[in-house]
Order: sequence, then structure tokens, then C-alpha cells
Amino acid sequence: IREDRFRCPPDDAKPVAAAGQLIDFQWKLGIAMSADSCKSLKSPCVTVALKVTDGLGNVTCKSFEMTISQFQNFHSQFKEMASVL
Amino acid sequence: MAGELEGSKSLSGLLSGLAQEAFHGHQGITEELLRSQLYPEVSLEEFRPFLAKMRGILKSIASADMDFNQLEAFLTAQTKKQGGITSDQAAVISKFWKSHKTKIRESLMNQSRWDSGLRGLSWRIDGKSQSRHSAQIHTPVAIMELEIGKSGQNQDQFRLWIKRTALCLKDKQASNLKGKYSLVFNLHNSGAPGWHSR
Repeated sequence: IREDRFRCPPDDAKPVAAAGQLIDFQWKLGIAMSADSCKSLKSPCVTVALKVTDGLGNVTCKSFEMTISQFQNFHSQFKEMASVL
Repeated sequence: MAGELEGSKSLSGLLSGLAQEAFHGHQGITEELLRSQLYPEVSLEEFRPFLAKMRGILKSIASADMDFNQLEAFLTAQTKKQGGITSDQAAVISKFWKSHKTKIRESLMNQSRWDSGLRGLSWRIDGKSQSRHSAQIHTPVAIMELEIGKSGQNQDQFRLWIKRTALCLKDKQASNLKGKYSLVFNLHNSGAPGWHSR
């Protein structure tokens, strides 16, 4: 077994499960004012983009949309995690 | 035959069928199905224009997201029109919109969302206590599992982990967003010129 294959910083706690590391979180808020199906739409929407790295230098970006109430739930999950950490 | 159409008994059912087809994406609600179920005494030739009229009225109301004042004014105008609706029918339509408005709005908003949505979210906190290089470490990490995708298609499931310091920063960013939402919405409601009716 070669030593350098298992080289990692001593206090780096990488989880074993196949998970990427969240390195950036971006969001934007938009309001869809009008659409062909509905002239007076006025629908707010949060789009989130997560940048995740796999530890080998590969970065993927996952983006998705949420309603305001979904985003509020998303935010409260983060708060709950932060409180446990 | 025409008397059947002027009645309001079956109109409520008709509006439900129209809403299912026009807004909630229910396939298979044909005009023949509606006619045979709700207006069996009426011929298809007579039924067609009536159905088109009701569909047009419902779509106008939904498209403009009418509040109750606008709805009353609109329906009153329809009763005064040549070949319009009766006041009984106006009452049925009004009652229908009041009870189905929220669901219809939700469907319309979903229809205009074309990107992936967040379908599922779960998380856990892992605490690593020992490693090869160090006898005692305690660096808790949060692991999130997210499922994103569009309805009716395969979902993309992925996991990510976040260290404590990163999580604090993200929480701060998310808090900023809540304030921003109120600000944008207030600008809209203030009736700034040129904001509506484009």
C-alpha cells in the first residue's frame, strides 16, 4: 500500500458516503409577471444554484426553482442544521 | 333544448370539467363527454358554442386573476351582452371562482415553471471522532440529500456535505433573501406606473 494514496489533511473530516462538498450557494429572486397561460401571473420564484466539488477538482452546478414557501422551508432546514452543528 | 343550457344546474359540473382540462392538465375531458354527462338533451351543435363561451369566460377570469370586485363587474357585463349569460349562471360562475381560485392559480403558476424544482430534502449531521492520523478529532459535518427534477420525469438525486463555517455563511445569505422578497413585492403593490397591464 502506497502511503500517498491515502494522503489527506489530519483533521479533514470527509464523510464516507458519495457526497460532494458544497462550495458555493447562489440564489436569485424573480417574479414571473405574465405568461401565455395567464396574463396576470405575479408568481415569485427563487432559483438556487449550488456548486459542488467532488474532491478531485471537478465542479458541478445544480440549479433548481422553489416557491417562496418552499424556500422558507429550505432556509429553516439550514438553520436547524446550523443549530445542531 | 336551449332551456337546458340556460339553466344553472349542470353549469357547476361543467366549470369543474373545464378547469380540469384547461388548468390542471387532465387529459380526456372531451366536449362529447361533458355534453353526454351534463347536458344529454342538448345537441352537439348547440352545445359547442355554449361550451366555448363558458371556457372563454373562465379563462378570462383566471388569466386576469380577478378579485371579487373585478369579477362582479365582469360578470355583470356578460349578463348585459347579446348572447351573454343569465344572472343565475353568473352566480354559479362567481361561486365557482371563489372556491377554486387558489387551486387554479397554483396550477397556472406551476405551468409557467419550466426548470427543475426541489422534490425532496433530507439531512443528517455526522460527527467523526477518530482518524488514522489523529486520535481525537471532532469535526461535525452536515450531509444533505437533495432530489431535484421536473414532475413526470426522472429525478436527479445527489448528496452534498457542508462544514460548520460554510453553513453559517449560507444561513446569513438566506436571511438576506427574506428581506429582499418583501422589498420587491412592496414595489409591485405600490402601483408604480407601467408596472401592470403590459
